[in-house]
Amino acid sequence: MATAVQAARPAGAAARPRREREEEVLVWPDLLFPEFIAAVVFTMTFLVLSTAANAPLLEMANSNLTPNPSKAPWYFLNLQELLLHMNPALAGVIVPTVAILLLMAVPYFDGDHEGQGVWFGTPNAVKIMAFSAIYSTVATVALILYDSLKFDQVWQMITGHHMPAWAQGLAGIQHGIQWPSWSLNIPYLPFNLHLMDSDFRTLDFPYFLSQILIPIGTMAILPLVLIWICRRWDPTRRGAMVAFFTGFMASWVVLTVIGTAFRGEGLQLLPVWDVWNIMA
Amino acid sequence: MAVSEQPTRQTWQDLLYEKLFHNYIWQSIFRSGYPNTPRNQMLVVATNVFLHLHPTRIHRTHVKITHTYCLGGLTFFMFLGLTVTGAMLMFYYVPSVNRAYTDIQTLQTSVQFGQLMRNMHRWMAHAMVLLVFMHMMRVFYTGAYKPPREFNWVVGVVLLVLTLLLSFTGYLLPWDQLAYWAITVGTNMVGSAPIFGPKVRFMLIGGFSVDQAGLIRFYTLHVIGLPLLAAVFMAVHFWRIRRDGGLARPL
Repeated sequence: MATAVQAARPAGAAARPRREREEEVLVWPDLLFPEFIAAVVFTMTFLVLSTAANAPLLEMANSNLTPNPSKAPWYFLNLQELLLHMNPALAGVIVPTVAILLLMAVPYFDGDHEGQGVWFGTPNAVKIMAFSAIYSTVATVALILYDSLKFDQVWQMITGHHMPAWAQGLAGIQHGIQWPSWSLNIPYLPFNLHLMDSDFRTLDFPYFLSQILIPIGTMAILPLVLIWICRRWDPTRRGAMVAFFTGFMASWVVLTVIGTAFRGEGLQLLPVWDVWNIMA
Repeated sequence: MAVSEQPTRQTWQDLLYEKLFHNYIWQSIFRSGYPNTPRNQMLVVATNVFLHLHPTRIHRTHVKITHTYCLGGLTFFMFLGLTVTGAMLMFYYVPSVNRAYTDIQTLQTSVQFGQLMRNMHRWMAHAMVLLVFMHMMRVFYTGAYKPPREFNWVVGVVLLVLTLLLSFTGYLLPWDQLAYWAITVGTNMVGSAPIFGPKVRFMLIGGFSVDQAGLIRFYTLHVIGLPLLAAVFMAVHFWRIRRDGGLARPL
């Protein structure tokens, strides 16, 4: 029927745009059969996998015997990795909460209809994604190496000297610099605000600087710089969101991989094969 | 076209087909006939409770495997598989610090297919966490969170959190060293929250260290609380896909 109508049009006229209904296929069989096949393939895969590899079961729980290293489940090792570099409340609770809230807010920042329904539908989306992934991976790895004193070790191998204390890592900023004694105990409230076992009265400035201020600053400024760089490829909010989301996912993966495979005894940063030997 | 609609001689296959699908019992169960005509194919999707989450027709680009890679569906499938294997594990597991570990040992050594069920539960749980992240990336990079689908993205993020919590609560149940210390490390992170952290940690594990109170809390959350909550959010998630006009399409 449709072809007959089109054939009757005068030659040279633009082809009639296909109607919505003609672009549709029936869910049975075109969707349900692939879904069924996917379900069967995954069931078979997990049957085979579960025959080949057993779920781990160590000795019975013993609260007096702390394994070294003690690690959270793998999907929380990103947070455990963050915990090594900053204030525990910041790493363990505030950063993940803010990350979840920012993720939820993505569609409310980027509400225009451009580029939906197709992979990388906006201009330069792939370029922004690639750049953001590389930028975030390099930045996260570099920050971890910095705070694990690795730059100092390399510097020492080359020059024979230590780097200045502030360049050695966040601990170097806190402990390696001669802070005046008053800065360790700055009163900011005239009384002790005692809230559910937490004290609020004085501020340990070196700790505040190295464990709270610098980490927050780093986590705020690096994404902003990233988005600013990516403006040249796509100045819209979608471009910023692609840069931001990719950067988040890349750092999340890097933190998870390092927390899982590169942290050995005492959570020291070790080559992956040494960690493997400890865990095995 | 019209020629084929003429009655032709009935073969034994036609007779079998008639007897199987055009009888009183079959049609009392399935309101539509066997789905071999477009009409019946649409009816079977629309009238079957398990299939009716689907529309009856779908845009041709959305059935291409490279558009969604089935990731959301597979995440849901993992949830179903975990429910089935998890219910089987429940027959053999008592959430008591004195029994939990030996129950797992007994399950692995003395129960027919017990080890297999535990393995499947474990690997599917890991896979669900991975799949839910991959599904989120698919939705993001296809721009499928944009209006009118903003809220469904939020529901999706809630489901991501629930998936992590489901996996985390299940991690303690074998009561071995891996479980015990992973949960100790994990709940210590919660305890470090400013002001309310220690209270939340106390509430979560029912004490100052992980013990019987913590085990029963994690067990209850793992087998009923969080799955129910996840099921509710999944219902909203799937419903909203349909209400918001199916999968996102270029305008």
